[in-house]
Amino acid sequence: MPVKEFTLPDVGEGVAEGELVTWLVAPGDRVEEDQPVAEVETDKALVEVPSRYDGVVEELFAEEGEIVPVGDVIISFRVDEDGEDADSGTSEEPAESGESGEADADSDGDTAAEPDGEPADEPDGDVPSGRTFAPPSVRRLARELGIDIAALDGSGPGGRISEADVRAHAEDDASEPRPAPADIGSGDRKSAVSKRDASGDDADSSAAATMPDAAEPAAAVEPAGRETTLATPATRKLARDLNVDIDDVPTDETRDGEAFVADEAVQAYADALEGSVDAESAPADTVAVSDSGASESVDETVPYRGVRRTIGKQMERSKYTAPHVSHHDTAEVDALVEARERLKPKAEAAGVKLTYMPFVMKAIVAGLKEYPYLNSELREDEEEIVLKGEYNLGIAVATDAGLLVPVVENVDEKGLFELAAEVRDLASRARDRKLKPAEMKGSTFSITNFGAIGGEYATPIINYPETAILGLGAIEERPVVRDGEVVAAPTLPLSLSIDHRVIDGAVAAEFANTVMEHLEHPLLLLTQ
Amino acid sequence: MSETQNLTLVQAVRDGLYTEMREDDDVLVLGQDVGKNGGVFRATEGLFDEFGGDRVVDTPLAESGIVGAAVGMAAMGLKPVPEIQFSGFMYPGFDQIVSHMARFRARSRGRYTLPMTLRAPYGGGIRAPEHHSESKEAFYAHEAGLKVVIPSTPSDAKGLLAASIRDPDPVIFLEPKLIYRAFREAVPEGPHTVPIGEAATRREGEDVAVFTYGAMTRPTLEAAENLAEEGIECEVVDLRTISPLDREAIVEAFEATGRAVVVHEAPKTGGLAAEITAIIQEEALLYQEAPVTRVTGFDVPYPLYALEDYYLPTAARIEEGITEAVEF
Amino acid sequence: MVVGDIATGTEVLVIGAGPGGYVAAIRAAQKGLDTTLVEKDAYGGACLNRGCIPSKALITGSGLAHEAGNAEFMGVHADPAVDMGQMIEWKDGVVDQLTGGVEKLCKANGVNLVEGTASFVDDRTVRVAHGGAGQGSESIEFEHAIVSTGSQPIQIPGFEFAADHIWSSADALDAETVPDRLGIVGGGYIGMELATTYAKLGAEVTVVEMLDDILDPYEDDVKRIVRKRAEELGVEFHFGEGASGWSEGADGGYLLQTETEEGEESTYGVDKILVAVGRQPVTDGLDVENAGIETDDRGFIETDDRTRTAVEHIHAVGDVAGDPMLAHAASKEGIVAAEVIAGEPAALDQQAIPAAVFTDPEIGTVGMTESEADDAGFDPVVGQMPFNASGRAMTTGHTDGFVRLVADEETGFVLGGQIVGPEASELIAEVTLAIEMGATIEDVAATVHTHPTLAEAVMEAAENAQGQAIHTLNR
Repeated sequence: MPVKEFTLPDVGEGVAEGELVTWLVAPGDRVEEDQPVAEVETDKALVEVPSRYDGVVEELFAEEGEIVPVGDVIISFRVDEDGEDADSGTSEEPAESGESGEADADSDGDTAAEPDGEPADEPDGDVPSGRTFAPPSVRRLARELGIDIAALDGSGPGGRISEADVRAHAEDDASEPRPAPADIGSGDRKSAVSKRDASGDDADSSAAATMPDAAEPAAAVEPAGRETTLATPATRKLARDLNVDIDDVPTDETRDGEAFVADEAVQAYADALEGSVDAESAPADTVAVSDSGASESVDETVPYRGVRRTIGKQMERSKYTAPHVSHHDTAEVDALVEARERLKPKAEAAGVKLTYMPFVMKAIVAGLKEYPYLNSELREDEEEIVLKGEYNLGIAVATDAGLLVPVVENVDEKGLFELAAEVRDLASRARDRKLKPAEMKGSTFSITNFGAIGGEYATPIINYPETAILGLGAIEERPVVRDGEVVAAPTLPLSLSIDHRVIDGAVAAEFANTVMEHLEHPLLLLTQ
Repeated sequence: MSETQNLTLVQAVRDGLYTEMREDDDVLVLGQDVGKNGGVFRATEGLFDEFGGDRVVDTPLAESGIVGAAVGMAAMGLKPVPEIQFSGFMYPGFDQIVSHMARFRARSRGRYTLPMTLRAPYGGGIRAPEHHSESKEAFYAHEAGLKVVIPSTPSDAKGLLAASIRDPDPVIFLEPKLIYRAFREAVPEGPHTVPIGEAATRREGEDVAVFTYGAMTRPTLEAAENLAEEGIECEVVDLRTISPLDREAIVEAFEATGRAVVVHEAPKTGGLAAEITAIIQEEALLYQEAPVTRVTGFDVPYPLYALEDYYLPTAARIEEGITEAVEF
Repeated sequence: MVVGDIATGTEVLVIGAGPGGYVAAIRAAQKGLDTTLVEKDAYGGACLNRGCIPSKALITGSGLAHEAGNAEFMGVHADPAVDMGQMIEWKDGVVDQLTGGVEKLCKANGVNLVEGTASFVDDRTVRVAHGGAGQGSESIEFEHAIVSTGSQPIQIPGFEFAADHIWSSADALDAETVPDRLGIVGGGYIGMELATTYAKLGAEVTVVEMLDDILDPYEDDVKRIVRKRAEELGVEFHFGEGASGWSEGADGGYLLQTETEEGEESTYGVDKILVAVGRQPVTDGLDVENAGIETDDRGFIETDDRTRTAVEHIHAVGDVAGDPMLAHAASKEGIVAAEVIAGEPAALDQQAIPAAVFTDPEIGTVGMTESEADDAGFDPVVGQMPFNASGRAMTTGHTDGFVRLVADEETGFVLGGQIVGPEASELIAEVTLAIEMGATIEDVAATVHTHPTLAEAVMEAAENAQGQAIHTLNR
């Protein structure tokens, strides 16, 4: 059975590389055509890569977490004879061993058994049923040593493989850890992230929210940390009720040569613990980090990869390419609030939850139609500015993995309710990581609604390669001046960032005015 | 003698009988179908041809007669090994067992002892009708003057049987018939004994001590293996002798872990698990971290075979019991 | 067993004691596994009892008689009389010796033998029914199982073997009298071996075959030699005809009716009709579905290169697992199955399995033919040595046939061999070894072969492939 290599396919428009997030198979696994073999992340989409063959996984050429350029070999299969390939080839395509790179080493201590003698039951050296020019005893030796004999070049005439060839190859392999056909999943890779702050996701690239320090001040009482403690069942119950580990209760009493703890000791210890600053007492059955109870703050390390990193790169590119200018203003939205109130029952009847977003989207489109330079893309190399013919609005959504921007296409052609439903659907699927890559492409202008969480003004970063972005603050009652009096009115703060290479401040201001006009006089939306 | 043969449990019983009969002319076998037929489970196969009808005696169908005759023989110096075909049929001979077999030493102030071994296949799981699946070792454990021995492996079966036959006092030797042929093990050839009253640790572990015996040893070990994958390490102790219990082994295993589970197929109430729990209470209370869990048969007459699989402790049920003890 | 059902436990349960099963059982026991072998009929299976061994016995007997009676040219004048009953008795003796031997070997290796018919209850339990009244049945619980229940002759509707005059191959190997006229349906290797045998015993043999030649998988030049010789022995061939029915003949015999694809009918007068149209797997009563084992649409159990079925701890070997339906393949599979169960890295990685047809002359083949090598992407070079150029062959009086070797031009590796001629079944072993060892054609040519032997022809063919044969003209 010939070995077929498989390269990382192009999984999205113009995507040049992807991160191999997870392997779904391991060497030795049997796979069917179309069966997913890996999860690859490109930009912000998580894509499953299917096998093109029926066969057995031969070798993995990338590690989890590695960035792989499109077109690079990522996996090879030993293909079934009556599968895709008519010519059951000779060993013309043994895996170009040069390219094999690192075998997928799983450095778990327990699974990678020492490669001496028989591997347990995993089919390591797969059986070739094509021609192998090696005597039976040598073939068996190869299997015992876990070597794929078809990948060897024999030193005998015509490439015949001898015992010496097999053994020499085995020694070469000895330095590299043998790919253990065991689980190549997360193994004991610790998830260093204990908590992700879901709230901090602005359009701004803000650093991850501060992690709580695992600070524990020095305890006034030293826990005993014993292995065996004698106590009556009643005492043990008391310890449990007080949330105290009986093995930690200090005591001088002994029975039978073992430490003995009575109720009083338990109570005393519990009181002492409470007296000290509230440390998080570990529940009795988790492994204590150390007996002495940590008294220093420890840094926490979070991996910078996947969507987070992608966002980081995007933000960097946008901010460092386009000279950003922010324009802030506030719309007095009494009429908008009332309009929404009026429409809410109708919306509910149509099964739609009507937020302010659809109104804002329509107002923006109105502005873009008048000021098309904010709905554009600068192509510096071609020395041209493309004024877009469509009004596709990207709506920023905060998810556990980071900021994702699904796109609502052709906003100008859709009604309020339709927009409301679509935004809701996209947002929820974004949070579930169920967006298709296509749904996150093609926006011509973006909106970031940090006001949903709170805040007034911000300086959003433009969603490259667009040229403008509008940030929405929270709609709240704020003081405004009307007829010389200060009154409370609902206001919507707007934060518009523009690419000054394409748009001047004045145009930005005019655009903002138009948008506000449509928000303050919702009837104007009917003219759109 | 370092030679061994691979034998099933019932073959080992046969080998034990053969070896002891050869070593000592006073040993004889009596019971229904044991002679010419070789025993309905083949436990006495070939003995009749080898030792003749005087030492391998076919009896009428009369359990009280079988036990009574054996009592008489033993009192007068022979070493009879009576067989009751199924432990459920020991009841017709119960009077002989408790009124006489158990009391001779006490009655005669030690002048007479009864070196007899009453063998019976016991226990369920074999799809048999009523009376054929009993597990009432507790009745005999409760009677002072009797020893009760229950092997769980071929090698122990031969060794414990030999030790029982050589014991000057009466022994009730119950053979778990479910595993009569379930697996083979290397059994030493020739004379081979295993001490009565000593438990055997079948598996080491520090989280919980699981006590069991007879046919339940295998599912208990299976449960222990399954739980090891979840990080629970069980110490499995095969009691081997039910009376007298190896108190030391029980207490030692309990003190090392603080938690215990007892597995037996006999019904729960009044079963050996209760006795073991009491021993633990008396001797090792301060080490106790959880109540003793009992995984046993139910307090019902042994069901017919459509329900048999629900009655007997399975590896899954044992795992649940162990988990309960560990998570308390 | 009086009351209740006490299961016997075993580590490896082998079902069927043919060349696949008994070999597997012995190897498993050698590896220290507690092994139980269940057989419902006779040790040695079809091979020992109704196939390989009996047929070779009769072939030898008939061959000897024919040889002796046709050796005047050597100065040997004889007119041998054949006592068929005695030949069958002798054959039975050989069979008994062998089956007894299999039983002894199993016991000596510690295999537990159980007589009865097995059927799966689930994927860990089998029920064995003991034959005969009052014998009951028992349960066996296994950790691993090897199914080796073999194959049986395919019965054509209308030609039920139960009838006295319709023979299966087993009947043909047990006949105490030679029929005057024997009709054979099927020109495959079984049909041809028996055609040759019975022709030599004096029967008028008619072979009816649906395809347009005998011995379908073999090359034309191989078939031609065997067919011509059979015709010389008096065998009549009718190709393109399929058996459609039979009727009783006026003369006390029978009329075998055939039909071509176009519908043309023919009739042949015969006394016995041997139906040899192939063999099918034996799985009825085995209840493989209860264990989750999968079979293909012809009933063969599907297995992988480690002989495992769809259920990982159950293996299948031999004819029941499909092609190649050869006893030595079954034995090899049996060994692999046992070793895989024992946790060893065994696999069916043989480069080629030889096959033999015991016609006159014999055929022995292994590996690729020239055109197969070509299709596989090799650049084949071929060497040939006809037996009429072999000194030894001439001294036996049998010079039909040839040795042909196929090798890869670039590397020289031997890829295959086809031998037609005297002792072809034995000679092919050398070529098989050459292929397995990864020998080159040069290696074979350079190995000294004893003179004068038939085996020399193998060396000569190798030389011929290199264009430097001494005793033949190089191509």
